[in-house]
Amino acid sequence: MKVSAIELDSARKVYGHGASAMVALSDVDLSIGPGRFVSLIGPSGCGKSTLLRLVAGLETADGGSVRVHGVTPDQACAAKLIGFVPQTPALLPWRSVLGNVTLPQRINTAAARRRERIGDLGERGAGKAPPDMLELLRRAGLGEVVHRLPAQLSGGMQQRTAIVRAFGLQPDVMLMDEPFSALDEFTRETLQDQLLDLWDELKTTVLFITHSVQEAVRLSDTVVVMAPRPGRIVDVIDIDLPRPRNQRLFEQSSFHEYEDLIRDRLHRAWRSADAA
Amino acid sequence: MSIVPEQVAPEQAAPAQPAVAGPPAEPSRYSLKHPRSRIGWIRPAVWLPLVAMLAILGALWQWGAAKLPYLLPPLPSIGRSLSDDFGYYLKNAGITLGEAAAGLAISFVAAFVLAVLVSEVPVVRRAVMPIAVVLNVTPVVAIAPALVVAFGFGATPKLVITALICFFPILINTTTGLRSVPQQVLQVYRTMDASRLEMLAYVRVPNALPYLFAALRIVSPLSVIGAVVAELSASGSTGGLGTVISTASSMNNLAVVYASIFVLALMGVLVMLVITLAERRALHWHESSSSDRTK
Repeated sequence: MKVSAIELDSARKVYGHGASAMVALSDVDLSIGPGRFVSLIGPSGCGKSTLLRLVAGLETADGGSVRVHGVTPDQACAAKLIGFVPQTPALLPWRSVLGNVTLPQRINTAAARRRERIGDLGERGAGKAPPDMLELLRRAGLGEVVHRLPAQLSGGMQQRTAIVRAFGLQPDVMLMDEPFSALDEFTRETLQDQLLDLWDELKTTVLFITHSVQEAVRLSDTVVVMAPRPGRIVDVIDIDLPRPRNQRLFEQSSFHEYEDLIRDRLHRAWRSADAA
Repeated sequence: MSIVPEQVAPEQAAPAQPAVAGPPAEPSRYSLKHPRSRIGWIRPAVWLPLVAMLAILGALWQWGAAKLPYLLPPLPSIGRSLSDDFGYYLKNAGITLGEAAAGLAISFVAAFVLAVLVSEVPVVRRAVMPIAVVLNVTPVVAIAPALVVAFGFGATPKLVITALICFFPILINTTTGLRSVPQQVLQVYRTMDASRLEMLAYVRVPNALPYLFAALRIVSPLSVIGAVVAELSASGSTGGLGTVISTASSMNNLAVVYASIFVLALMGVLVMLVITLAERRALHWHESSSSDRTK
């Protein structure tokens, strides 16, 4: 049997306790196959960030189980299966762009051995050479600024550096928490192009949180619609559009039909939450 | 102090800035924050106010010295004392500076190690911090005589007093720096399962450096104060400017007293200068030294 890259089985997360308890995630089931690009979308408070943090091992589930390639999130982190891109670039301001993206290779060097012992990843990652970070930076359009400090870069460049840092880990699962939300629309579209380009080459599983319906449809194989109070999954929509998805995609009517469909589901989720 | 902006300013985010190597646009050269550029000192508008102020203060001093000869020595007599006994002042300044530096070094090592422990182990924090706070609010001047009784007239009480006075600011600032790494940075390295040691070496300690230098700026004048207070408390000490001052004032030799004070002030300025230079080198990436960012 093929192991899912990400598997949530009635995962549950509650903040606080007693009468003030807030159910952030209520018995969520989700299974994501390897190499899929999956977006989470939903109004704020629907638990999408909580879900991501559970998978990243930054928080533990109060019930149910979370598995990454068949192991716990903590084991997945120990084997460096996970690449994490937070909302802010989270770069180290004293390290150059190159210094920032190469640091992960010096951290937790025992991870490669642990990774080989994880089920189906052993043979897949055998003899995996560390990537040429300079080449990755060039592909992300950062070739000219590799020796600059983060503070000398624009916001878009900083976020690209953060993405290259995560891809440089050659992660099996990429977790991205609204990485483009602070950028203007033009920069955002450029970064979407570059993200798809890198993903196309490295073919990792991506779990991507976004507020933007357009972004979700453009990037994803599957869009997961979530609703708040309690946080839950209300819809899973496969996006059946051809790749590569370039700017011409926006002219296609099927693209807009998907957008309308997801907007409709979001509104319904919103209304049901208000009624509750 | 966060370098990573929470929200990216729109003009920063715009990709209008072309990805071309070469010197970045340098608006800071014209900023008002750094009037101390090399050319600036040539202009009278820059140096004249200070020189005028010094002239006024000097004139007032001379006037006071003429009126109250028992309280203030005339400036020329201070200058003469300095130039006649230059070697004497230099030797005693060296002793005081040596005590201050050694005390500061001891304090630095101890406070840094404790700061790492305090920030890494909550139990240690709860045990140590209240004591550290009490120690900090206790005037060192009051402890000094007791320490002299305990450790004698040698170097030991001077080092202990100087170390005590420097300890708390270094501890507090370093602890703050180690703990003030932005949450999302920590999350990124936690998902790589970075060990505590890796987290310290690559993330926390570099993050604490600006805080550490801020502490050094506070503490370096304090270390000289500590050394002088210790010398004044131990009236039988063999050397140091504090001893010179207490001996000279008991003999009513005011010129020597003020000459020593002048040397102490000069020493403070020199120490500050050294720290500023070290800070520029170590923190070239930091906002506080953004004026010399061109490479």
